[in-house]
Parts: sequence; structure tokens; C-alpha cells
Amino acid sequence: MLYIIGLGLGDDKDITLKGLEAVKKCSKVYMEAYTSLLSFGLSPNGLSNLENLYGRSITLADREMVEEKADEILNEAKASDVAFLVVGDPFGATTHTDIVVRAKKLGVDVKVIHNASVMNAVGVCGLQLYHYGETVSIPFFTETWRPDSFYEKIRENRKLGLHTLCLLDIRVKEPTIESLCRGKKQYEPPRFMTVNTAIEQLLEVEEARGEFVYGENTICVGFARLGSEDQKVVAGSMKQLLTVDFGAPLHCLVIVGKTHPVEEEMLEFYGL
Amino acid sequence: MVKFTAEELRRIMDFKHNIRNMSVIAHVDHGKSTLTDSLVAAAGIIAQEVAGDVRMTDTRADEAERGITIKSTGISLYYEMTDDSLRNFKGERNGNEYLINLIDSPGHVDFSSEVTAALRITDGALVVVDCVEGVCVQTETVLRQALGERIRPVLTVNKMDRCFLELQVDGEEAYQTFQRVIENANVIMATYEDPLLGDVQVYPEKGTVAFSAGLHGWAFTLTNFAKMYASKFGVDESKMMERLWGENFFDPATKKWTTKNTGTASCKRGFVQFCYEPIKQIINTCMNDQKDKLWPMLQKLGVTMKSDEKDLMGKALMKRVMQTWLPASTALLEMMIYHLPSPSTAQKYRVENLYEGPLDDAYANAIRNCDPEGPLMLYVSKMIPASDKGRFFAFGRVFAGKVSTGMKVRIMGPNYVPGEKKDLYVKNIQRTVIWMGKRQETVEDVPCGNTVAMVGLDQFITKNATLTNEKEVDAHPIRAMKFSVSPVVRVAVQCKVASDLPKLVEGLKRLAKSDPMVVCSIEESGEHIIAGAGELHLEICLKDLQDDFMGGAEIIKSDPVVSFRETVLEKSTRTVMSKSPNKHNRLYMEARPMEEGLAEAIDEGRIGPRDDPKVRSKILAEEFGWDKDLAKKIWCFGPETTGPNMVVDMCKGVQYLNEIKDSVVAGFQWASKEGALAEENMRGICFEVCDVVLHSDAIHRGGGQVIPTARRVIYASQLTAKPRLLEPVYLVEIQAPEQALGGIYSVLNQKRGHVFEEMQRPGTPLYNIKAYLPVVESFGFSGTLRAATSGQAFPQCVFDHWEMMSSDPLEAGSQAHQLVLDIRKRKGLKDQMTPLSEFEDKL
Repeated sequence: MLYIIGLGLGDDKDITLKGLEAVKKCSKVYMEAYTSLLSFGLSPNGLSNLENLYGRSITLADREMVEEKADEILNEAKASDVAFLVVGDPFGATTHTDIVVRAKKLGVDVKVIHNASVMNAVGVCGLQLYHYGETVSIPFFTETWRPDSFYEKIRENRKLGLHTLCLLDIRVKEPTIESLCRGKKQYEPPRFMTVNTAIEQLLEVEEARGEFVYGENTICVGFARLGSEDQKVVAGSMKQLLTVDFGAPLHCLVIVGKTHPVEEEMLEFYGL
Repeated sequence: MVKFTAEELRRIMDFKHNIRNMSVIAHVDHGKSTLTDSLVAAAGIIAQEVAGDVRMTDTRADEAERGITIKSTGISLYYEMTDDSLRNFKGERNGNEYLINLIDSPGHVDFSSEVTAALRITDGALVVVDCVEGVCVQTETVLRQALGERIRPVLTVNKMDRCFLELQVDGEEAYQTFQRVIENANVIMATYEDPLLGDVQVYPEKGTVAFSAGLHGWAFTLTNFAKMYASKFGVDESKMMERLWGENFFDPATKKWTTKNTGTASCKRGFVQFCYEPIKQIINTCMNDQKDKLWPMLQKLGVTMKSDEKDLMGKALMKRVMQTWLPASTALLEMMIYHLPSPSTAQKYRVENLYEGPLDDAYANAIRNCDPEGPLMLYVSKMIPASDKGRFFAFGRVFAGKVSTGMKVRIMGPNYVPGEKKDLYVKNIQRTVIWMGKRQETVEDVPCGNTVAMVGLDQFITKNATLTNEKEVDAHPIRAMKFSVSPVVRVAVQCKVASDLPKLVEGLKRLAKSDPMVVCSIEESGEHIIAGAGELHLEICLKDLQDDFMGGAEIIKSDPVVSFRETVLEKSTRTVMSKSPNKHNRLYMEARPMEEGLAEAIDEGRIGPRDDPKVRSKILAEEFGWDKDLAKKIWCFGPETTGPNMVVDMCKGVQYLNEIKDSVVAGFQWASKEGALAEENMRGICFEVCDVVLHSDAIHRGGGQVIPTARRVIYASQLTAKPRLLEPVYLVEIQAPEQALGGIYSVLNQKRGHVFEEMQRPGTPLYNIKAYLPVVESFGFSGTLRAATSGQAFPQCVFDHWEMMSSDPLEAGSQAHQLVLDIRKRKGLKDQMTPLSEFEDKL
């Protein structure tokens, strides 16, 4: 049996009771560590905290392992119980459908244990979850790769008066361009996009496209370390948010659409 | 002994009509350097007496030893012409002083890249051809290259002394030989018809052909003799010149000119009667020491000898007399000044070849008008090692504006793209220098139309670059040079003492700088590789490396190895698909061989990434039968963005395709550099992107996902399209007497070569053989050949084409398969090729 278990957002204690029981049952525990990070995962002993709490040793699975060597995990799951830990919710912001599809093809039973995801935790700022449009990711721009297809999606959302959740790029153990081209592995230092960088990139695209989808005065909400003790939520115009220091990762950003009076009341709490 | 000073030289640099930038080109050993010395002698750098023996432009010890030129050398020469000699000059001029910037370049084919670098910065070329050997392979290669760069040629038929002393041929026979040599050259030139350049063929009767004996320091054009005889016959000089060439005969008995040989004993061709015979007579008189006869003859010709010269005997006397009567410098200089263009004339039509940007911007106009007040446009064509080891002069030509000491310049390297910051530096020029053979003189500034060397830029320029003014941010660079040879022979080097490694690494960097073509690289296995044009080229490179760039530290070299190319024979048997690591993106591709000749067109730069898309699609449609719309969908060329492979977009209506384009291109650049068979460069493959399925969110289709996928799908399509290896093949030209032919054929057979042309040189017992020889077999070829023919045959090898090896590299046990395994082993790769299943994903 393969258990795909959501860990939630904050810290090690956010795992559900059901999830914890499942982990304790499993002979092998993998933790996916590239699409997101538990805030404590950044500290050197983060993983061992988890191990102490769950009473199991945990194998860190990076992108390579999940995408290219998933079969090994699945083969183990055929014979015994294997847990695959995912930060947030297994089917939240990150897409782990692929591993489910593969497991089913191999005839491995899969059980999913849900948890909170950034997709619903952003509700904390008061904007109604019913009122969000398509979610977009903002990737780090490089000299040659500056994709701006999110611009159209934001435009459509705003036309309908919807809020847009922007997930910000994280690059953990990403291969360098040269190593990608040559098929050799060499990794860049880890980087996390801040709210400030995201806004800079958004404004750059707006300037280039000039369709007035949003601008310096558009109201946004910036989030940092959502779900943890020291989470930070600030609402303000893009221009204002540019100067706010949100501190340690992870960050995300919501571009506010048409607001309901109740939503506005909530936002005021977070205003600058 | 130096007749001119740097100040004089600098002053004349401002007279752009009085400048001639020219190179001397010819086959190896046709006497370029020797002839050049006669010119240098006239400018006063070396004494007249030793002209012919010094080889001023061969500045390196190994050049002097081998008697061949290896590096091209530039010299600025200053001449004052007499009013009389400029009487018939119709072009613009500014006084009688002339500045000739002369570049002597090597004739051996292995050093063709030096020639290319020389051609770029000159406007005219003196083509030197041995009167007996005629037009040879290197003459032809370089001449074609020169004409491609829009360089106007004049010809000199050299080694005339051989006719008189060695072969003793009679006048009519000599005329026929000369006529043939000129005709052969004209055949090549005639193929380059260019409305802007006009007729580039050469004619003795128009003064664009000279006859010279470089070794003895004399030369003439028909102008010399026409001047002498015009008054005697009462016709003007141009009329007289026509009579001195071609089908014009004179019978002194009847004193009549005819256009046919009348058959009487005294009727002779004009050229023979009035040019050849008098020279022959003087030479014979000198050689026989018949001084009593000689003095009156000389007096009649108006030649006066100094008293100490009158005591000379035999050959020395002959040399002195001929030099005084027909000084080589006068004839050649007149020809160059009259018939080669000044920078101001040449840049009017060369701007199209030179400038990459729009031809109507300020920079193009400044180049076109050779405007010293315009923005600086300077092309650095080569780096010359300076006397303090490890430093280099940047040598090049100012096409517009002025370059001065202390000036801040923008340095645009070969990979610079306007608007980006890549390969771009802003630096100060420490000093500007002009070159006079072995001496360098610092000058304040150098205006356009001249060659210049600069100090202080060597850190920022690898091989060549375009320099502009600091503020001219919208200038485009000057087009990069295309070399006629490619670095197909490689050796691995290592140092004998391990602690010398830093010296080796630094030395290789310097070597790469000093030679326009050599490529230094590091293999996966950590081996240091030097790639060059041929055995001789590599030998020189290694010598430079050890002696000049590594301070004599000992190095060990491997046996030379040859680069191969990977190509495909047919279209992929099916559309192959690869999935990205996250499985959300799929690329579908097919590979197919390019149309015949297309890879060569890309090599030559006729088709490339920087073309105007309209022009490109016109060529592709008309010459290669492409669909016009398809031609607009070429994504890129590779490897190195200019190589002879490409990716074409065949998708219909795919969203976000533009966002992954760069990732696919990046994957393709590497894949085409390191093919699936043995990580050799690919060649002549066209990859068609058939379809693409993408994740809707940008973050899930970034470079990390798409680049490796592009690489895999490219390999998969290569492997499904009948991959083949290409091996480089030399064109070998061998000259040898008849009795050596047997030996030549047997050596060629043994070495997998095949002869495709055998021709006897008319009037000589020599045969001229042309053959194709695989480069792999060429190592030690000259040695074997010399042994088999008792030293009578000398081969000249020049890279000609890539030949497909017929055997299938995927079939175990085939010759190509074995070759692939060998290359993989040498490179330290996995023994076996990666199977197709690793690259292709199935649905």
C-alpha cells in the first residue's frame, strides 16, 4: 500500500492523526522535498525532529527521485506499506497525480490522506475562497527565459473580478542550465522567490505588455510562512508591498479582485 | 638605413586616397616573402644589396629555418612617387606620397586561417604565381576567398629567372606558359562577377599583370616597355601596351606590325621581340661576363652603374644590373597604386560584406565614406604575441573614425548580440602602435583606412572583435570571418612534469589567442585537446605552446586523432516522443537529412541565424526546394548557434510554444555538439518539432523540465533516422615527374585515397595529380610518399569535404561501430552507446 500523506503547512505537528497512524504503520517513509518546504525543513535538524516525532527514519526524495526513480518507491509499496510525505495537501498546489497514475498501472493500492494546503490557507486574509480565479506560478526570470503567460491568466481573472493566487518559484536542487543540456547533474544553490521579486517581475511584464491588467496601485496581499507561528500577512498596493520585508521563505501573493464589504473589513486588519 | 620616420608615416595616414591596404597571396614557395622584401627594400628598411636573401617578414626563427612563412606579418611602407610615374594616374590623390600597408601571409594550406585574417583588413591583393608551376591549390583557395571578400587582385608571374637560367626556354614557349598561367587565374576570377567590383580579371596589356623575379629583385609590367618604345614607334603608351601582348607580331625586316605570324624568321611576337629577348640578352651578357658588350647596351637603356658595382662578376653582376634597370619595387608599386583601390574606394562596396547592422545607419555610412570624423568602427582580425611573453597586440583595421591612445572603447566579441551584455566590454586602449616589420612605433592616433596594433586589450579579446566608441551603444559588430579550412586534426597534450599543469592551462589559453583557427578544449576525461588544420599546423602550434607560451616546459603529445561528424541518412522511421521528468510535457520530433549542399551553404555563411528571414527563405525556396512558409519557421542553428544543423517548427496551433522555444534551443545546442553516437558534432541534420503537449502552468514547463526532454527527443530522432558517421577528407595535390607516378598511385591506394584528376603540365615533364584522401590516413602521408618516390613528390593537403561512411554504426561489428567505440573509449564515455529506449518514451 502506498500512502500519500499531506503534512500541512506549519510544522511537524500539523500532520493529521490519521496521517500519523499511517506513518507509524509504514516500513519505509519518503518525504518529497522539492515542490515546497515545511518551514522547519530549512533548519539543519528539521528532518530529525520529524523522525523523532513519527518514530521512523525518513528518506528525502528530491526531484530526481520522484520524477525519474519513482518505480523503486512503487516496487517497495507492492510488498509493504510505504508512506510518501508531501508538504501541504497531496493534490493541492503540487501535482502528484503522476505518481498515483503510475502506481495504479503497476497495481499498487494508493491511499491519500489530506491536509491543509496553501490553496485554502490563503483564506486567512479574509478573501473568500469561492472568489478565486485560476492559480498561477511566477517563475524566476533568467536572461533568456522570461515566460509571461501568467499575464493572460491574471487578465482573465481580473475581467471576472476574481482574486488571483500567485505561487512563487522555489528552486531547490535545480540542475544548472548547462548540466540540463548535457544530461549531467550539477545543482544551483537553492533560491526562493520573495514577494518583492514577484511584484517586480509582474510590473515588468505589465510594462512590456501594456494592457493595464494591474499596476503599481493594484491591491495585493503578501504572505510569508503561511500556517506557522510567525506567519506574516500584509495587504497593500503593489508599490507599498515592494518595500515590505517579509523575511524567511516561503512566500506567496494574492492579487485582489473585486471585493465584498466583508472582505474589505478583513483586509483592513492586515493593511499597512 | 631607415628612410622614413613614424611622424612621416602618421602624417600620410590622413590622406585616405593615398593609402593601399594589400595582402600578398600565393601557393607555398611561389616566392611571396622574397618578393615582399624587394618592396620593403625600396621603402628603405633593409639594404638593397641583400634584398632577396633576408625575408624581412619571416620574423620567427622556425620560419627562417623551414623557409616558409607561418604567421602573417604586417608592414607599413612609405613611398614617394615621382610626378612622371603618376602622370597617367586618373584616380583621386593627394600629393605624391603613398602609404602601403602590406600583409605577407603564409602560402601553406595549413595556415589558411592566417590568410583569412589578412584578407579581412586589406582591399587589394597581389597574387604571386610561379611561372613554371602555375596556379596551385592554395592560390585558388585563397583567390576565391579574396574575391568573396570583395578584394581586387593584381597578378605577378614570379620566378622569371627560372625561365632564363634554369629552363632556358625560348621566347615563344615562355609566352605560351605565361599566357596559360594568366588564363588559369582569370578562369577563377571570372566566376566572381560582381557589378560593384567590376571586372576583376587581369590583363598584361592593361598593366594588371607584372612579371617578376623576386629572388633577383627585378620586375616589370608592360608599362615599362611601352614607355620605352612608344616614342620610337610614334604611338601612345596604351596603344603600345596592347601591341606588346597577345596576337601582335613585328618583323624588324619589314618594320611592320601584323596580327598573324607571317612565317618569316625575323617575325616575332611583340612580347618576345621587345620584352623577353632584350632581358634574355642582358642576362646572358652578364652571366658570360661580356662586360665590353654590356656597358654600351646599358647606356642605351639609360642604366648607369656605380663604379664599385662594375667590378661584380657573373650572377652578382646580373642581379645588380637587372635591379637597376627594372627594379621590382617600382614596377609592383606602380601596379598597386594604379590598379588597387584605396580604402576610400574599396569601403564603398565592401561595407555590405563587412557590416552586420542596417546598411543605412550612421555606422554603415561612416564605413562607406571612410569618414575619419565618423564613429569609430574597428575590426580586430588577429592577436599578435608581443615581445614580453604572454601579452598580445590586438591587430586590425580602422574602417571609420579614429582610434587613439587612451581612448575608451566598446569591445564587441564574436558572440555579442546587439542590445545584450554578453561578450561586451568597455575598456581603455593603452597605446596605439603602427607596425614596421620587426619594429613597432607608438603613435598618438590612427585614422580610418589604416591598419593598427593596440596594447592593453588582450585580456578582453580572444581572437577577434569589433571596437567602437564607448557611447555608440547601437552599433552592430562587423561580420565574423569564415575560415576556408576547419580544425579537423586533434592531439591531446599533457605536461611531462605534473607541476607544470598551470603553465599548460595558461599556455593553451595564449595559444588559442595567437592563432585565428586553433581550438583548445578540455575533454570529459580531463585531456587537453588542441585542434588544427593539419599535421604541420599542429606541429607549429605545439612548438609555440612549448617554447613561447610555457617557457620551455616539456609536454607530451598523443598521436593525432581526427574529428568525425554525426549525421542521418533518412527521415526518422516514426515520430518519436519524450516526456519531461514530471511527465506533464511531451515533445514530438523527427530528424531528416538536410538537402544536398545546404550544410555547406551554412558553413559558408550564406545561410545563418542572422540572415534577413526574407532573403533566407528565398534562398531556401529557390535552391533547396523548401516551402516558403517553412523557411520562416527555423528556430535555430547549432552547434554554437551557427552550425550546420537546425530545428524547424512544424507544429500547428500549440499554445505557449514560444515559452519553451529557448529551452528546446538550449537542449539542441548541446545535443548537436555532442551527438548520440560518440558525442561528436552533428552535421546536416534537420530536426522537425512535430507536436508539443505542455502543462498549463509556466513553472511546470520551465527549463528544468524542457531542456533535458529536448535533448532526449533529439537523440531519439537521430537514432531512428539511420545515423551515420562522416569523416573528413582532404583534397591532395601532388606535383611529380612521370617516373614517380607509380609510387604515388600505390601509396594513395594503400591509404584509401583515390585520384580524380591527372594532368601533365604543358611544356614540362611534371604531372599534376589531384586525389581525395581521408584525413585519418594523412598522418605520415608526406613521409611515405617521399620514400616511395625517392623524394620527387610533394603533396599539399587541404580539407575538402565530409564523406559519409557507408557502414551502420548501430550494427555491432561494422567498421563505423568499431570507430564509435574507439572514440567513446578515448573520450572516457560509457563503452556502449546509450540505447534508443533511454531517450524515447512510449505512450
